[in-house]
Amino acid sequence: MPDSAVPRPEIQFATLAQQGDTAELGIWAFLINETIFFGALIFTYFLYRNFYPHEFAVAAKDTVLWCGSVNFLVLVTSSLTMVLGINAAAQGERREMIRWLVLTCALGFAFLFVKGYEYYLDFLHKSVPIVAYEAKPGEGSAGILFWVFYWVATGLHAIHLITGIGLVLYMLLWRIRRGEMTPAYYTPLEVIGIYWSFVDVVWLFLFPAIYLVGRS
Amino acid sequence: MRFEVDPRRARPLPFVFAWAGLVVLGGAGLWTAFLGMGKWAPIVQFSIAAIQTGVVYILFMRLKGAPSLKLIFAVSGFFWLLFLYGIIMTDYSNRQGWPPSSVASPPVLETPAATHE
Repeated sequence: MPDSAVPRPEIQFATLAQQGDTAELGIWAFLINETIFFGALIFTYFLYRNFYPHEFAVAAKDTVLWCGSVNFLVLVTSSLTMVLGINAAAQGERREMIRWLVLTCALGFAFLFVKGYEYYLDFLHKSVPIVAYEAKPGEGSAGILFWVFYWVATGLHAIHLITGIGLVLYMLLWRIRRGEMTPAYYTPLEVIGIYWSFVDVVWLFLFPAIYLVGRS
Repeated sequence: MRFEVDPRRARPLPFVFAWAGLVVLGGAGLWTAFLGMGKWAPIVQFSIAAIQTGVVYILFMRLKGAPSLKLIFAVSGFFWLLFLYGIIMTDYSNRQGWPPSSVASPPVLETPAATHE
Protein backbone atom coordinates (compact mmCIF):
# COMPACT_ATOMS: atom_id res chain seq x y z
CA MET A 1 0.00 0.00 0.00
CA PRO A 2 1.55 3.35 -0.98
CA ASP A 3 2.05 5.73 1.92
CA SER A 4 -0.40 8.26 0.42
CA ALA A 5 -3.16 5.64 0.50
CA VAL A 6 -2.73 4.96 4.22
CA PRO A 7 -5.84 6.42 5.85
CA ARG A 8 -5.21 9.22 8.30
CA PRO A 9 -7.60 10.43 10.99
CA GLU A 10 -9.46 13.69 10.55
CA ILE A 11 -7.74 16.63 12.21
CA GLN A 12 -9.93 16.58 15.34
CA PHE A 13 -9.04 12.96 16.15
CA ALA A 14 -5.80 11.59 17.54
CA THR A 15 -6.16 8.13 15.99
CA LEU A 16 -8.31 6.25 13.50
CA ALA A 17 -9.64 4.11 16.36
CA GLN A 18 -10.89 7.22 18.16
CA GLN A 19 -12.47 8.50 14.94
CA GLY A 20 -14.17 5.14 14.41
CA ASP A 21 -15.50 5.00 17.98
CA THR A 22 -16.92 8.51 17.63
CA ALA A 23 -18.63 7.65 14.36
CA GLU A 24 -20.18 4.52 15.87
CA LEU A 25 -21.39 6.47 18.88
CA GLY A 26 -22.92 8.95 16.44
CA ILE A 27 -25.00 6.28 14.69
CA TRP A 28 -26.16 4.95 18.07
CA ALA A 29 -27.25 8.48 19.08
CA PHE A 30 -29.19 8.65 15.81
CA LEU A 31 -30.75 5.26 16.50
CA ILE A 32 -32.04 6.50 19.89
CA ASN A 33 -34.20 8.94 17.88
CA GLU A 34 -35.22 6.19 15.49
CA THR A 35 -36.17 3.87 18.35
CA ILE A 36 -38.45 6.54 19.82
CA PHE A 37 -39.82 7.37 16.36
CA PHE A 38 -40.82 3.79 15.47
CA GLY A 39 -41.60 2.96 19.11
CA ALA A 40 -44.21 5.72 19.26
CA LEU A 41 -45.72 4.49 16.00
CA ILE A 42 -45.95 0.91 17.24
CA PHE A 43 -47.39 2.09 20.55
CA THR A 44 -50.17 3.91 18.66
CA TYR A 45 -50.89 0.60 16.98
CA PHE A 46 -51.13 -1.19 20.35
CA LEU A 47 -53.40 1.52 21.71
CA TYR A 48 -55.91 1.23 18.89
CA ARG A 49 -55.60 -2.54 18.69
CA ASN A 50 -56.53 -2.62 22.39
CA PHE A 51 -59.53 -0.37 21.77
CA TYR A 52 -60.76 -2.17 18.64
CA PRO A 53 -59.40 -5.76 18.82
CA HIS A 54 -62.12 -7.34 16.69
CA GLU A 55 -62.02 -4.68 13.96
CA PHE A 56 -58.23 -4.87 13.78
CA ALA A 57 -58.27 -8.67 13.55
CA VAL A 58 -60.83 -8.65 10.75
CA ALA A 59 -59.04 -5.90 8.80
CA ALA A 60 -55.62 -7.58 9.22
CA LYS A 61 -56.90 -10.84 7.69
CA ASP A 62 -56.59 -9.18 4.29
CA THR A 63 -52.84 -8.64 4.59
CA VAL A 64 -50.76 -10.82 2.26
CA LEU A 65 -48.99 -13.21 4.65
CA TRP A 66 -46.62 -14.76 2.11
CA CYS A 67 -45.31 -11.32 1.10
CA GLY A 68 -44.62 -10.41 4.72
CA SER A 69 -42.96 -13.78 5.42
CA VAL A 70 -40.77 -13.69 2.30
CA ASN A 71 -39.73 -10.15 3.17
CA PHE A 72 -38.87 -11.24 6.71
CA LEU A 73 -36.53 -13.88 5.31
CA VAL A 74 -35.07 -11.48 2.73
CA LEU A 75 -34.36 -8.76 5.30
CA VAL A 76 -32.85 -11.08 7.92
CA THR A 77 -30.63 -12.60 5.22
CA SER A 78 -29.58 -9.14 4.06
CA SER A 79 -28.45 -8.35 7.61
CA LEU A 80 -26.25 -11.46 7.48
CA THR A 81 -24.75 -10.56 4.10
CA MET A 82 -24.12 -7.02 5.35
CA VAL A 83 -22.24 -8.34 8.38
CA LEU A 84 -20.25 -10.77 6.22
CA GLY A 85 -19.33 -7.84 3.97
CA ILE A 86 -18.02 -5.90 6.97
CA ASN A 87 -16.10 -8.99 8.12
CA ALA A 88 -14.47 -9.18 4.69
CA ALA A 89 -13.56 -5.49 4.92
CA ALA A 90 -11.98 -6.10 8.34
CA GLN A 91 -9.90 -8.90 6.85
CA GLY A 92 -8.89 -6.89 3.80
CA GLU A 93 -10.69 -9.20 1.38
CA ARG A 94 -11.88 -6.62 -1.11
CA ARG A 95 -13.53 -8.99 -3.59
CA GLU A 96 -15.47 -10.78 -0.86
CA MET A 97 -16.55 -7.45 0.58
CA ILE A 98 -17.85 -6.22 -2.77
CA ARG A 99 -19.63 -9.53 -3.40
CA TRP A 100 -21.44 -9.47 -0.04
CA LEU A 101 -22.39 -5.81 -0.36
CA VAL A 102 -23.78 -6.30 -3.87
CA LEU A 103 -25.82 -9.22 -2.51
CA THR A 104 -27.05 -7.01 0.36
CA CYS A 105 -28.18 -4.39 -2.15
CA ALA A 106 -29.87 -7.04 -4.28
CA LEU A 107 -31.76 -8.35 -1.24
CA GLY A 108 -32.79 -4.78 -0.38
CA PHE A 109 -34.20 -4.37 -3.89
CA ALA A 110 -35.89 -7.78 -3.61
CA PHE A 111 -37.62 -6.61 -0.44
CA LEU A 112 -38.86 -3.48 -2.21
CA PHE A 113 -40.03 -5.52 -5.20
CA VAL A 114 -42.10 -7.89 -3.00
CA LYS A 115 -43.41 -4.91 -1.03
CA GLY A 116 -44.37 -3.16 -4.25
CA TYR A 117 -46.24 -6.26 -5.44
CA GLU A 118 -47.99 -6.43 -2.07
CA TYR A 119 -49.03 -2.78 -2.38
CA TYR A 120 -50.45 -3.63 -5.81
CA LEU A 121 -52.48 -6.50 -4.31
CA ASP A 122 -53.66 -4.17 -1.51
CA PHE A 123 -54.81 -1.73 -4.15
CA LEU A 124 -56.74 -4.48 -5.96
CA HIS A 125 -58.35 -5.51 -2.63
CA LYS A 126 -59.31 -1.89 -2.00
CA SER A 127 -57.25 -1.61 1.16
CA VAL A 128 -55.75 1.81 0.47
CA PRO A 129 -57.34 4.46 2.71
CA ILE A 130 -58.38 7.65 0.89
CA VAL A 131 -57.28 6.31 -2.54
CA ALA A 132 -59.24 3.04 -2.85
CA TYR A 133 -60.81 1.75 0.30
CA GLU A 134 -63.77 -0.51 0.99
CA ALA A 135 -64.58 -1.66 4.53
CA LYS A 136 -64.90 -5.48 4.62
CA PRO A 137 -67.79 -7.21 6.43
CA GLY A 138 -67.26 -7.21 10.19
CA GLU A 139 -64.50 -4.64 10.07
CA GLY A 140 -66.70 -1.71 11.06
CA SER A 141 -65.54 1.84 10.67
CA ALA A 142 -62.46 1.24 12.90
CA GLY A 143 -60.86 -1.25 10.49
CA ILE A 144 -59.49 1.63 8.45
CA LEU A 145 -57.27 2.55 11.44
CA PHE A 146 -55.38 -0.70 10.92
CA TRP A 147 -54.80 0.09 7.26
CA VAL A 148 -53.69 3.63 8.01
CA PHE A 149 -51.09 2.14 10.39
CA TYR A 150 -50.11 -0.43 7.75
CA TRP A 151 -49.43 2.18 5.07
CA VAL A 152 -47.70 4.67 7.35
CA ALA A 153 -45.50 2.04 9.06
CA THR A 154 -44.53 0.05 5.96
CA GLY A 155 -44.07 3.27 3.96
CA LEU A 156 -41.70 4.74 6.55
CA HIS A 157 -39.87 1.42 6.78
CA ALA A 158 -39.47 1.33 3.00
CA ILE A 159 -38.07 4.88 3.02
CA HIS A 160 -35.51 3.78 5.61
CA LEU A 161 -34.58 0.75 3.53
CA ILE A 162 -34.20 2.86 0.38
CA THR A 163 -31.87 5.12 2.38
CA GLY A 164 -29.88 2.04 3.43
CA ILE A 165 -29.62 0.82 -0.16
CA GLY A 166 -28.47 4.28 -1.21
CA LEU A 167 -25.76 4.25 1.47
CA VAL A 168 -24.50 0.79 0.45
CA LEU A 169 -24.44 1.89 -3.21
CA TYR A 170 -22.52 5.00 -2.19
CA MET A 171 -19.98 2.75 -0.47
CA LEU A 172 -19.70 0.45 -3.48
CA LEU A 173 -19.56 3.10 -6.17
CA TRP A 174 -17.53 5.75 -4.37
CA ARG A 175 -15.66 4.88 -1.18
CA ILE A 176 -14.71 1.26 -1.99
CA ARG A 177 -13.89 2.10 -5.59
CA ARG A 178 -11.48 4.74 -4.33
CA GLY A 179 -9.91 2.14 -2.06
CA GLU A 180 -11.01 3.89 1.12
CA MET A 181 -12.26 0.80 2.97
CA THR A 182 -9.24 -0.99 4.41
CA PRO A 183 -8.66 -3.20 7.45
CA ALA A 184 -7.17 -0.07 9.09
CA TYR A 185 -10.39 1.89 8.73
CA TYR A 186 -13.74 0.51 7.63
CA THR A 187 -15.96 2.28 10.18
CA PRO A 188 -18.22 3.94 7.55
CA LEU A 189 -19.21 0.44 6.48
CA GLU A 190 -19.66 -0.60 10.11
CA VAL A 191 -21.94 2.42 10.71
CA ILE A 192 -24.08 1.60 7.66
CA GLY A 193 -24.25 -2.01 8.85
CA ILE A 194 -25.61 -0.92 12.23
CA TYR A 195 -28.23 1.23 10.49
CA TRP A 196 -29.15 -1.64 8.14
CA SER A 197 -29.65 -4.04 11.05
CA PHE A 198 -31.84 -1.49 12.81
CA VAL A 199 -34.10 -1.35 9.75
CA ASP A 200 -34.25 -5.14 10.04
CA VAL A 201 -35.24 -4.87 13.73
CA VAL A 202 -38.14 -2.56 12.83
CA TRP A 203 -39.48 -5.24 10.48
CA LEU A 204 -39.19 -7.86 13.26
CA PHE A 205 -41.88 -5.89 15.12
CA LEU A 206 -43.97 -4.86 12.13
CA PHE A 207 -44.24 -8.49 11.00
CA PRO A 208 -46.34 -9.76 13.96
CA ALA A 209 -48.17 -6.42 14.24
CA ILE A 210 -49.34 -6.48 10.64
CA TYR A 211 -49.39 -10.05 9.39
CA LEU A 212 -50.04 -12.23 12.43
CA VAL A 213 -52.71 -10.23 14.28
CA GLY A 214 -55.58 -11.27 12.00
CA ARG A 215 -54.62 -14.93 12.07
CA SER A 216 -54.08 -15.54 15.78
CA MET B 1 1.40 -2.50 6.41
CA ARG B 2 -0.18 -5.18 8.61
CA PHE B 3 -3.29 -4.77 10.72
CA GLU B 4 -4.74 -6.97 13.38
CA VAL B 5 -8.20 -8.22 12.49
CA ASP B 6 -10.83 -7.40 15.10
CA PRO B 7 -11.55 -10.80 16.74
CA ARG B 8 -15.29 -10.03 16.53
CA ARG B 9 -14.87 -9.78 12.77
CA ALA B 10 -12.62 -12.79 12.27
CA ARG B 11 -15.15 -15.66 12.07
CA PRO B 12 -18.38 -15.76 10.08
CA LEU B 13 -19.86 -18.78 11.86
CA PRO B 14 -21.45 -16.98 14.87
CA PHE B 15 -23.29 -14.69 12.46
CA VAL B 16 -24.51 -17.61 10.36
CA PHE B 17 -25.81 -19.33 13.52
CA ALA B 18 -27.47 -16.08 14.61
CA TRP B 19 -29.15 -15.82 11.20
CA ALA B 20 -30.39 -19.43 11.48
CA GLY B 21 -31.71 -18.67 14.97
CA LEU B 22 -33.55 -15.60 13.69
CA VAL B 23 -35.15 -17.60 10.89
CA VAL B 24 -36.20 -20.39 13.29
CA LEU B 25 -37.66 -17.85 15.73
CA GLY B 26 -39.46 -16.12 12.86
CA GLY B 27 -40.93 -19.46 11.82
CA ALA B 28 -42.00 -20.13 15.41
CA GLY B 29 -43.74 -16.74 15.53
CA LEU B 30 -45.54 -17.53 12.30
CA TRP B 31 -46.56 -20.93 13.67
CA THR B 32 -48.10 -19.39 16.82
CA ALA B 33 -50.44 -17.38 14.61
CA PHE B 34 -52.25 -20.60 13.69
CA LEU B 35 -52.40 -22.22 17.14
CA GLY B 36 -55.46 -20.36 18.33
CA MET B 37 -53.67 -18.90 21.33
CA GLY B 38 -56.14 -16.04 21.66
CA LYS B 39 -54.95 -13.23 23.91
CA TRP B 40 -51.60 -14.95 24.48
CA ALA B 41 -50.68 -14.85 20.80
CA PRO B 42 -49.50 -11.21 20.64
CA ILE B 43 -47.60 -11.65 23.93
CA VAL B 44 -45.75 -14.69 22.56
CA GLN B 45 -45.21 -13.14 19.12
CA PHE B 46 -43.83 -9.85 20.43
CA SER B 47 -41.68 -11.69 22.97
CA ILE B 48 -40.16 -13.61 20.05
CA ALA B 49 -39.59 -10.28 18.27
CA ALA B 50 -37.86 -8.95 21.42
CA ILE B 51 -35.55 -12.00 21.56
CA GLN B 52 -34.76 -11.58 17.86
CA THR B 53 -33.99 -7.91 18.50
CA GLY B 54 -31.57 -8.95 21.25
CA VAL B 55 -29.75 -11.29 18.86
CA VAL B 56 -29.51 -8.62 16.14
CA TYR B 57 -28.35 -5.95 18.59
CA ILE B 58 -25.73 -8.13 20.27
CA LEU B 59 -24.25 -9.85 17.22
CA PHE B 60 -25.17 -8.04 14.00
CA MET B 61 -24.93 -4.56 15.51
CA ARG B 62 -21.76 -5.59 17.33
CA LEU B 63 -22.73 -4.77 20.88
CA LYS B 64 -20.99 -7.93 22.13
CA GLY B 65 -17.76 -6.78 23.67
CA ALA B 66 -18.51 -3.13 22.90
CA PRO B 67 -17.39 -0.33 25.26
CA SER B 68 -19.86 0.56 28.04
CA LEU B 69 -20.62 3.96 26.51
CA LYS B 70 -21.89 2.31 23.33
CA LEU B 71 -24.02 -0.07 25.38
CA ILE B 72 -25.52 2.85 27.32
CA PHE B 73 -26.38 4.61 24.05
CA ALA B 74 -27.94 1.45 22.62
CA VAL B 75 -30.09 0.77 25.68
CA SER B 76 -31.06 4.40 26.31
CA GLY B 77 -33.32 4.42 23.23
CA PHE B 78 -35.50 1.76 24.88
CA PHE B 79 -35.21 3.53 28.23
CA TRP B 80 -36.63 6.76 26.79
CA LEU B 81 -39.25 4.72 24.99
CA LEU B 82 -40.43 3.40 28.37
CA PHE B 83 -40.75 6.98 29.61
CA LEU B 84 -42.76 7.86 26.53
CA TYR B 85 -45.05 4.85 27.00
CA GLY B 86 -45.54 5.65 30.69
CA ILE B 87 -46.49 9.26 30.03
CA ILE B 88 -48.88 8.31 27.20
CA MET B 89 -50.53 5.67 29.39
CA THR B 90 -51.13 8.11 32.25
CA ASP B 91 -52.94 10.30 29.74
CA TYR B 92 -55.06 7.60 28.10
CA SER B 93 -55.90 5.78 31.33
CA ASN B 94 -57.39 9.01 32.73
CA ARG B 95 -59.41 9.99 29.69
CA GLN B 96 -63.19 9.90 29.95
CA GLY B 97 -65.16 8.49 27.05
CA TRP B 98 -62.20 7.11 25.17
CA PRO B 99 -62.17 5.52 22.67
CA PRO B 100 -65.00 7.45 21.01
CA SER B 101 -67.84 5.05 20.30
CA SER B 102 -68.57 6.80 17.00
CA VAL B 103 -65.48 5.24 15.40
CA ALA B 104 -66.42 1.68 16.23
CA SER B 105 -70.11 2.01 15.52
CA PRO B 106 -72.38 4.49 13.72
CA PRO B 107 -72.68 7.82 15.56
CA VAL B 108 -75.53 8.12 18.01
CA LEU B 109 -77.34 11.41 18.43
CA GLU B 110 -76.89 12.67 21.96
CA THR B 111 -79.75 14.13 23.93
CA PRO B 112 -79.39 17.82 24.97
CA ALA B 113 -79.16 16.74 28.62
CA ALA B 114 -76.23 14.41 27.86
CA THR B 115 -74.46 17.15 25.87
CA HIS B 116 -74.53 19.56 28.83
CA GLU B 117 -73.24 17.06 31.37
